[in-house]
Amino acid sequence: MTSALLAGTALTGVAAAVAGGVAPARVRTGVSTALTLAACALGLVVGAEVLHSGHVAGIRTSSLMPLSGLSLALDRFGALFVVITAVVGICAMVFRLGYDGHGLSSRTASCILPLFVTALMLVPAASNVTTFLFLWELMAITSLFLVLADQGRRAEVQVAGQWYAVMTQIGAVALILGLVLLATHCGNQSFSVIALRAPHLPSWVRSTAFVLTVIGFGSKAGAVPLHVWLPRAHPEAPGPVSALMSAAMVNLGVYGIIRFGVGLLGGGPSWWWLLIMALGALSAMFGALHSATSKDLKRLLAYSTTDNVGLMLLGVGASGLFASTGHRALSLVALVAALLHVVFHAAFKGSLFLSASSIQQATGSTDLDGLGGLLRRMPMSGPIFLIGGLAIAALPPLSGFVSEWLLLQSMLHGLPTSDVSIALAMPIGVGVLALTGGLTAFTFAKAIGIGLLGLPRTPRAGQATEVHRSMWTGAGLLALLCLIFGIAPFLVIGAVVDAAGDVTGMHHSGVMTHGWQIGLQGTPGLLAPGLLALGLLGAGGVVVLARRLIQPGPVRLTEAWGCGRELQTAQMEYTATSFGEPLTRVFEDVLNPARDIDVSHIAESRYYTEAAVIHTTLDDAFERRFYRPANRILQQWGGIARRVPNGSVHRYLAFGFFALIVVLVALA
Amino acid sequence: MSGSSYSSALTLAAGAVLVSAVATVWLASIRSVIQVVAVQGIALGAVAMILGAHRSDPGLLAAAVVVLVVKGTVIPLLLGRASGGNTGSRESRPLVNVPASLVASAALIMVALVTGRGVGTLVGSTAGALVPMGLATLLIGFFVLVARRRPTFQIVGLLMVDNGIALTAFLCTAGFPFLIELGVSFDILLGVVVLMVFSQRLRIEFGDVDIDELQELHD
Repeated sequence: MTSALLAGTALTGVAAAVAGGVAPARVRTGVSTALTLAACALGLVVGAEVLHSGHVAGIRTSSLMPLSGLSLALDRFGALFVVITAVVGICAMVFRLGYDGHGLSSRTASCILPLFVTALMLVPAASNVTTFLFLWELMAITSLFLVLADQGRRAEVQVAGQWYAVMTQIGAVALILGLVLLATHCGNQSFSVIALRAPHLPSWVRSTAFVLTVIGFGSKAGAVPLHVWLPRAHPEAPGPVSALMSAAMVNLGVYGIIRFGVGLLGGGPSWWWLLIMALGALSAMFGALHSATSKDLKRLLAYSTTDNVGLMLLGVGASGLFASTGHRALSLVALVAALLHVVFHAAFKGSLFLSASSIQQATGSTDLDGLGGLLRRMPMSGPIFLIGGLAIAALPPLSGFVSEWLLLQSMLHGLPTSDVSIALAMPIGVGVLALTGGLTAFTFAKAIGIGLLGLPRTPRAGQATEVHRSMWTGAGLLALLCLIFGIAPFLVIGAVVDAAGDVTGMHHSGVMTHGWQIGLQGTPGLLAPGLLALGLLGAGGVVVLARRLIQPGPVRLTEAWGCGRELQTAQMEYTATSFGEPLTRVFEDVLNPARDIDVSHIAESRYYTEAAVIHTTLDDAFERRFYRPANRILQQWGGIARRVPNGSVHRYLAFGFFALIVVLVALA
Repeated sequence: MSGSSYSSALTLAAGAVLVSAVATVWLASIRSVIQVVAVQGIALGAVAMILGAHRSDPGLLAAAVVVLVVKGTVIPLLLGRASGGNTGSRESRPLVNVPASLVASAALIMVALVTGRGVGTLVGSTAGALVPMGLATLLIGFFVLVARRRPTFQIVGLLMVDNGIALTAFLCTAGFPFLIELGVSFDILLGVVVLMVFSQRLRIEFGDVDIDELQELHD
């Protein structure tokens, strides 16, 4: 039954792609979106059923792909990711119905978008190396095309596409090498056989395969230092695509690290997991810092994705570290916390990216210094962004709070253990979590305060109106999930615990839900988000009531403390740049800010300034120190290589001739 | 046919294929080179004929007829006609001059002998011992492609490569199945026609130039 539905998901996705490719322009978007929605709905049903029953849904055919055959087997762990992708996919598709422009309605994009969504849903179901690599590459290449959908109009898109293409292919190469190494040493490419034999392989094979797959998956997840493509590609992609990339595609990087590191290799020495924790800590801090100082709304969200991936990796690393030192219950708690963060991140980042795209469509800009006053002008998209922002800042009663609380608990409870590596790593992890939590709150105080509140800073922002109904519906569904999961996380914790148990093979629950409460086994930690929400609601009610009681009668509104100021204009307001300025100064070495001040004087007298404009640009430290020098060296090598083929047909023929002779002599 | 006369006839025909390849390197006049191509085609046909008669294989005999017709007659005629009144022209400045080319050919024949011997012993029999000749023809054909400038010589080089492959195949096995031989021959015929048309166009467009000047087309 579920197997048939899984096949149905794939076929509907392909049908949607075909429809997008052949349908006439008038109905193209509608037809392909409707079919993609159907595929996502089927994926959701399959995933939910597998999560519920625990029966593996599988398809095997030998006719579709040569030699190895197509082999899909969806277990609970994979199903969790399928469900996430399906939900984000549904919301993104609903959003797309009202979204226009950015090249997404072209024939190519209408054909490729369904393929991308389908590949995203099928990757977690792949159960042999060839199928996995095929679907992985399908996902990478279709997403590349979608990033480039708008390349005709803006030059930045091409740059973003180039970075993305190079980074994703570097990752793919590492992944292919790692998986081939693993498959050849196991003598079989089926995941189930690899899982049986991999724990007995020589340790250098296991470690090499692990490091290679971490490079591959880390580049897709946007983990620092492999993140450079992410803050470029995610903002430049069309709205629904950027939401899918940030809320569904990066998850698969985390999926891969857990599936291969824990599921197939069966865990490893503690240095593996210290490496993952280090990557996570670096990504979290670096991403948080850049999103706090970024003044472009979508770039801010993209860096915040790197930050959140860092938190997930921190959890995965802590889980592996606990497992390698024998603390199995804590290991499961940390893994559940990481997976829960994956689920919640998908919900809030999806809603944030979708509503940011709504803002972009309404105002034509994502520059925070050109927005303002949108909460009132966009009565649906504004609050949706607000909810997403509060959730990502981990404020109760929204979802981000629950996962970060669990992550913090798991790391805090690791502190009393006697193991040296844990004793060193956990305090650092806790510190990183605290710092990024603060920075994220700062970031979204800025995004909401500058972007949504205050006065509009440009005429375009002043004329903004609410976007099409389906756009805010798509974003709103995800925001609603943030709220629901924040109040009643027990709705998903059970499924996440099952999924984590499936991949680790540990079926005792480290995280328990007692009705509305969440508790950790063997530790005193306890959280009741429902009660917390109720308490907050009550406190809010008390404040409102108290104000009513204290201040009876009509309120008189006057201009208080006007100090001679007659009116408030946008120029008097804080800007995103100035808000982030103190932080930029503190972290000057990392951010490397470049300031450029243009002052123009009044013609009559140079003592009076007519206008002053400050341009601040920030630099990515990894890009500056590593990628640009590497790029220069490669260009030099390329320059040498380009001199060899000079266009002479004879020279090209001679290459072939000598190659033939060398092969002949070598074989003789 | 007795054993010794079969083997000497086969050696003679295969030798003729190789000698005509070497002759291409030596000659400069386009007219004589086209005649050499005809000789090589006929010699290749003769190899197939002799092998077919020896093994009494009707398929091989039919292939021999195809080779004789296509490679021995049609292609040289086409080459001659396409070169038109220009057959008197010569390869005046080859990339590698004639004496050096002959030395290179000798070296290539040695390479072929060394590398082809293994294949020859695998096949056994008289035919197997001649496999290096097929390889040598192939290598010399490739060398002509690399070392000569005129488009006609390029086509001739390509034909030599194909003849070398065909000779090796005839000697190694009982030849290609008839249908495949038919297909390959017509492929080559088509290739030659296309190349001739192409070189004609080039001549109309750029005058009587050598293809090295196409470097301008490099981006």
